[in-house]
Amino acid sequence: MSRTWRFVLDHYLVLPLGGAIAIVWSNASPLAYFKVSQALAFAVNDVGMAFVLAYVAQDVVEAAMPGGTLHPWRRAVVPVIGGIGGALAATGVYLLYVQHANEEMLARGWPIACGVDIFFCVAIARAIFRRGSAVAFLLLLALASDVVGLTAASRTFLVADVHPAAGFLIVAAVVVAAALRRRRVRSVWPYLLCSAPLSWLACYWTGLHPALGLLPIVPFFFHSARNLNASGAGHGEHRRANHFEEVFEYPVQAVVFLFGLVNAGVLLRGFGTGTWAVLTALLAGRPAGILAAVAVAVSAGLHLPRNVGWKELIVIALAASLSVTFGLFFAAAVFPDGPLLMEMRIGALGTAAGILIALAAARLLRVGRFANVPLARQALGAHLTRGPA
Amino acid sequence: MRAPRQVIAFVAVWLLAPLPFHAQDLSVPNQPGSLKFAAIGDNGTGEQPEYDVANQMDLWHQRFPFDMVIMLGDNLYGSQGPGDFVQKFERPYKTLLDAGVKFYASLGNHDKTSNDSYRLFNMGGERYYTYARGNVRFFVIDSNFLDPPQLAWLESSLKSAREPWKIAYFHHPLYSDGGRHGSEVELRVRLEPIFIRYSVNVVYSGHDHIYERLKPQNGIHYFVSGAGGELRQGDLKRSAMTAAGFDQDRSFMLNEIAGDDLFFQVVSRTGQTVDRGVIHREGYQ
Repeated sequence: MSRTWRFVLDHYLVLPLGGAIAIVWSNASPLAYFKVSQALAFAVNDVGMAFVLAYVAQDVVEAAMPGGTLHPWRRAVVPVIGGIGGALAATGVYLLYVQHANEEMLARGWPIACGVDIFFCVAIARAIFRRGSAVAFLLLLALASDVVGLTAASRTFLVADVHPAAGFLIVAAVVVAAALRRRRVRSVWPYLLCSAPLSWLACYWTGLHPALGLLPIVPFFFHSARNLNASGAGHGEHRRANHFEEVFEYPVQAVVFLFGLVNAGVLLRGFGTGTWAVLTALLAGRPAGILAAVAVAVSAGLHLPRNVGWKELIVIALAASLSVTFGLFFAAAVFPDGPLLMEMRIGALGTAAGILIALAAARLLRVGRFANVPLARQALGAHLTRGPA
Repeated sequence: MRAPRQVIAFVAVWLLAPLPFHAQDLSVPNQPGSLKFAAIGDNGTGEQPEYDVANQMDLWHQRFPFDMVIMLGDNLYGSQGPGDFVQKFERPYKTLLDAGVKFYASLGNHDKTSNDSYRLFNMGGERYYTYARGNVRFFVIDSNFLDPPQLAWLESSLKSAREPWKIAYFHHPLYSDGGRHGSEVELRVRLEPIFIRYSVNVVYSGHDHIYERLKPQNGIHYFVSGAGGELRQGDLKRSAMTAAGFDQDRSFMLNEIAGDDLFFQVVSRTGQTVDRGVIHREGYQ
């Protein structure tokens, strides 16, 4: 596999590719685009994304195993506090914004303010910090925030009929998965064929978002510990040890591409209060909340990881403002097709500005790969000291 | 008997059209026993233009005693406490309310969901609902939140409707040439197939702060009437689907359904008629 293709896969660049096609298509031929996107929405958002979330979840399960990045758990306390603080602050800013704008209809969209794009913000962190504890810190922080958002968004999944009694199917799914694991079944197919349908249907019928459908059985897959903060971690030997990852590496990329295609199509004039509320909450509220929460944690006696100081933390907080994938996912979970969903989608896409903000901050504060880059301001200062020629 | 009535209606409109038109004349036939209703959208500002439109509605009500008003959303802007309901709704429309005119509201993006319980909006605590008047059934849709339960309700309600006229109204327009918002294509993909399948005749919406009448789209007549209080002057970007429009001042609509004909007249804040016409119900069964 070429390095370029490996780079595209590792950084999930198929998502912006799908998103770009969607934006062009939806503005050039909106009727055709929305017919296709609405026809594909269930297959992509409710079925395909179940595999993507399972793919992310198995990374997390392996990172939490002995020898993994997130082991032991006490290392996770400060970033989790930061993530929750960021989610709370972003939610507060979002709700204040929509209340001030007197658009109460948008209030139910608050889970979108909790969405951190794990794919892209970790890629940005790797681009800035290369490797080390800052990347793991950001990953944990993003996970904590997304768990808050997922929990909230999954409870508002939009279905016509809810059958709470179907919850027993989750128990059945877990029992089947546990039995397979007990028999040391390494292939992922028995899990997916016997256990996954039960779990997915349980979510769908009980009104939980069905994209969460595979999460209850992921811990029963065969795993090996993983160090997520190393660039390119998880591939090669590890992939061969994990049948799920080996089988779904490329299908997941296809789903992510389709996810961008189906969800990122927005009409450029479709912005509104929801757009500005999401952007304000994520680009301003979340970084402030993360920094405030970590400051409280540190003042309470907890410690930042080695090699992560306040300058790094500022860059991490700004990188965590990126919400594209999970923002789009939560928006589609909370709002049905229509103008309010459009406003939210534009806001979620707009948080891509967090990439530039994080890179600019890293350069300005001279952290990570920019540690040895002379500041433009210093050059400007030297020029001013010398005066005009 | 239907054919002669159609002929009379069309002949009347055809004869009247070339005559010097007195802008403040009543163009609708005002027949006894017909269903008469007004339509306003995006009205609830509580500011003077809303009061001006309401005064015009009072004046025209004296000549054309409509029984009800359909509200196309954004019934209240800004804060929505008890005092706001007085300032932005009860006071401007006091004369009409005192005369027994009933208002049937749909929710816009600026409305609170809880406004569905406000007694004078006659929503019965539901954000989407249906009601019938004579040979007309109205379907009031919450276009802010077109979730699967609402779509299922709409489909079953339309399926069971026996009235010959089916009229839907909601806030966001499926077709519009308003420059700020325009057509809500995402909603159209969901709603239009249902409207076509169950022979909806006419659809009213607001959201764009203009008046526009669209050429029939797939056999359905669409109106945008979103200038009952707010106005986005000059925002109508006429296209091939524009049949008529007005974006220079606030406006409201008068409607009358007599047999298989729906007559409409659009009146500006100053009392000028800016559009009028008749829609004949096609032979749906």
